[in-house]
Amino acid sequence: MPANRLSEDNFDRMLGRALRSSSEPVPADFTERMLERLRESEQRRILARIVLQERLALAGCIVLVAAAVTAVLVFPDTAAELLQRAVGGFKAQGGAFVDRIPQTIEAFCGQWQFYSILAIVFGFAVYSLVGLFVGDRLRVA
Amino acid sequence: MADNIWNQRQKDIWLRLLRSGDHRAFAEFIDKYKETVFLCCRKLGLRDDEVEDVASETFLAAYKGLSRYSGRAELSTWLWSIAYRQAVTYLRKNRRQWQLDAEPDQQIAGSRQQEPAAALQGKETEKIVWAAVERLPRLWAMAVILYYREEKSIADIAKIMRAKENTVKTYLFRARERLKETLAAVFGEDRDAS
Repeated sequence: MPANRLSEDNFDRMLGRALRSSSEPVPADFTERMLERLRESEQRRILARIVLQERLALAGCIVLVAAAVTAVLVFPDTAAELLQRAVGGFKAQGGAFVDRIPQTIEAFCGQWQFYSILAIVFGFAVYSLVGLFVGDRLRVA
Repeated sequence: MADNIWNQRQKDIWLRLLRSGDHRAFAEFIDKYKETVFLCCRKLGLRDDEVEDVASETFLAAYKGLSRYSGRAELSTWLWSIAYRQAVTYLRKNRRQWQLDAEPDQQIAGSRQQEPAAALQGKETEKIVWAAVERLPRLWAMAVILYYREEKSIADIAKIMRAKENTVKTYLFRARERLKETLAAVFGEDRDAS
């Protein structure tokens, strides 16, 4: 008997015995039908998650392209400069890498809004591409 | 109670399987508690065609919530509280006139007429007691079933019914008085008849 019970007399014992000795009718195949329903609901949930991930991946790709085009149109000088720097950077191959750090910080401080948008777009793009190409393997795992 | 059959170790393994979403363990869970859930739904006043739907919703909610089940309350108490909540929510949504503290229309005499007026023993007593319980206001009946049939503590009943412990004690006290009166009348009649 659990704690926190009231004191009992013969009437309580009779009541308990009578109520415990009955069984409640339940449809015979209730468990099977319940499991079937459970499987269906799980499948629906998995399907909904996959659809959502695919949509996000697609949206990511579209946003990435749109953002790149917008960036080139709205900030043509910055985009050109960035590309030149990147090309220059590859050419120099680490020669003056350390020297350019203060310059990079200065450039970032000057246009932090642009770089923030770029970082968000880049993050979203990476997430979308990972979802698109290795998402299946992650889902199976 | 069936709970006592399970030793702690087996219970822990079974609980781990349940929490991980194992379907076989969940089938055992349904088999073990389906009568309890059906009983809860029926005694709260759901019709037969509604009982199965609400019972299914209860088990689905339990399946989803099992990962969050901390193990502090007994599993049956936790499931009772879900079943109770599901049934009450269903009734509130679907029946505007429905009231938890209303008294059902069934008359104990009606259920007695189906039975021969024989000696009040075994199954006969059981039926009379159930008929008397079903005549109680639903909240009182629920408290009686949880206390006497399921052997839950007052604190557990309060948790399941989301009521104060004193309220549960009042339900039980009033229900017990009413049952004593009703059953004394019925048993008395029968003794007079024999």
